[in-house]
Amino acid sequence: MIRFANNMHEFSVTKSLVDLCNNEAKKNNFSNIYKIYLKIGKFTGFSPDSICFYFEHLKPNTKCKDAEIIFDEVPIRIKCTDCGKESEIEEPILVCPECGKMTIEVISGREFYVESIEGE
Amino acid sequence: MKRIKVLKSVLVSNKQRAQENRQQFDRMNSLVINIIASPGAGKTSVIERIVEYFKKKRKILVIEGDIRGQIDSKRLAKLGVDVIQINTVTACHLDAFMTAQVLPKIDKKYNLILIENVGNLVCPAEFEIGEDYKLAILSTPEGDDKPMKYPLLFHLAKVVVINKCDLLPYVDFRKNQAKKNILRENSKARIFEVSAKTGDGFGKFCSFLEKELNAKEKKG
Repeated sequence: MIRFANNMHEFSVTKSLVDLCNNEAKKNNFSNIYKIYLKIGKFTGFSPDSICFYFEHLKPNTKCKDAEIIFDEVPIRIKCTDCGKESEIEEPILVCPECGKMTIEVISGREFYVESIEGE
Repeated sequence: MKRIKVLKSVLVSNKQRAQENRQQFDRMNSLVINIIASPGAGKTSVIERIVEYFKKKRKILVIEGDIRGQIDSKRLAKLGVDVIQINTVTACHLDAFMTAQVLPKIDKKYNLILIENVGNLVCPAEFEIGEDYKLAILSTPEGDDKPMKYPLLFHLAKVVVINKCDLLPYVDFRKNQAKKNILRENSKARIFEVSAKTGDGFGKFCSFLEKELNAKEKKG
């Protein structure tokens, strides 16, 4: 049997976020990061509130210790491959609002990446 | 003060590890299915039926993900199938790194690897573990609205199994509405109706899996 001591999923992704930013800071000779610009799609399973909660817990003793996260939420955009219409939708119900068909491609909303960091 | 572009996915390390897992599974020509459902939907019971169907024809490995205990792995071991248990302790999902820990323990070639994820419709959907595809199970007592409430899983799952169809006369589950809700998230989803209790529907579902296994073996 294999056992792990981990935590809820936002904990592990926030840990990945801090690691990623620390590495980028090292590469760019930053001693401190002040802002992390994070793109987060509305069609992901991650909540900005939980990420902030874990971030406060994880940032001490890292290059992120003085950093705040600036969330840029990306709306869900879909394209109907039948009628060609592009639409922005609030809820991820993948039906074309124009023609009602379910031939949908998700264009955006699945983003979850660090766009940039600010520091010195 | 300087602002620099990063443009890197937060999940990049998980994705890379998942890709490495996938390559390793591919070298064995194993069909790897990541099974995701809520607690009590019947993941283990569905796996038992699949194992019964294939155990004389194919080599099967089940990887059991649970927060604690070995209840399911003991249950499955009784069927004579190889099982590896992972306890995530507090984590609500399996990730690629946890799955990677299993790889050194795999000492023979398996045709089919079934990975039972932690019972949860939310988090497991976000983490690739090296699977060929995700299979979601929706059980009738949960209600036909679940694909709308947990859209990401149903968007990503190639196959959806509606389980506990023997309970349809007793629960308020509109089967056609459920299918509509699934297809709204993924118009290409393959949907199967089964009852792990009675075995109904597994003939059709397992012949689908058999075709998938044949296709995977041909690639080798």
